[in-house]
Amino acid sequence: MTEHDDHQIRKALQQSFPPVNTELRRDLWPVVLRKLDTRPARVPWYDWALIGLSASVFLFFPQLILVFAYHL
Amino acid sequence: MDLFRRFALGEIDAFETLVRQFQGDVYAWIVRIVRDPGIAEDLTVETLWRIYRARHQFRPDGNFAAWARRIATNLALDHLRRKRPEQSLLTEPACAPPPDHLRQQETRAKIQQAFRRLSAKLQVAATLALVEERPYAEIADALGTSVGAVKLRVFRAVRILRKQLNHLGVRP
Repeated sequence: MTEHDDHQIRKALQQSFPPVNTELRRDLWPVVLRKLDTRPARVPWYDWALIGLSASVFLFFPQLILVFAYHL
Repeated sequence: MDLFRRFALGEIDAFETLVRQFQGDVYAWIVRIVRDPGIAEDLTVETLWRIYRARHQFRPDGNFAAWARRIATNLALDHLRRKRPEQSLLTEPACAPPPDHLRQQETRAKIQQAFRRLSAKLQVAATLALVEERPYAEIADALGTSVGAVKLRVFRAVRILRKQLNHLGVRP
């Protein structure tokens, strides 16, 4: 590939993607603050129970990790 | 205590000052990549939120703008990955050739579609380097990679684009 090719593609891309306005239209701080105030999603207790159960099974029967990995 | 140290300690006033100071830069960086003002605003909010959540990882003597840009780039990359590429490339029309301005419009549409089919990583590197003409070092920093790796991505993007456009009979 020549430098000329590179230049042609660059020119074609610049024509196909006109310049975007990079000025922010409004202050985003209020939106950020609202987002910070919302509570993070909580993991329900039964998900923790399931994770604990899976960890115990793999601890006592490590050969099952391979079976599990095969089915992933 | 300086602003960055107060931010790292979780002071909301310090964070507000930083948001007002850097939100424009973060937005400008993201909109250059995603090229959609609405999406860029959403991603800017998400970036600023993540910045606050990751404040413990920020070294107060580090470069805040570069750190913010890296988080913004990762989010923009994720957005491009999630966005499905447009269905299929346009096919050559069977009817009589259109007038010049229509032909130009069609060529641009084909180039855009071919571009959107590149992987997200190649799109980001090529947009910033070829369309926006940002310095390679700045792109490498935002992507968390080397200048050589960015050059390679741009080279690969150009090669793939050229191949696709040749296949479509488009001569840029």
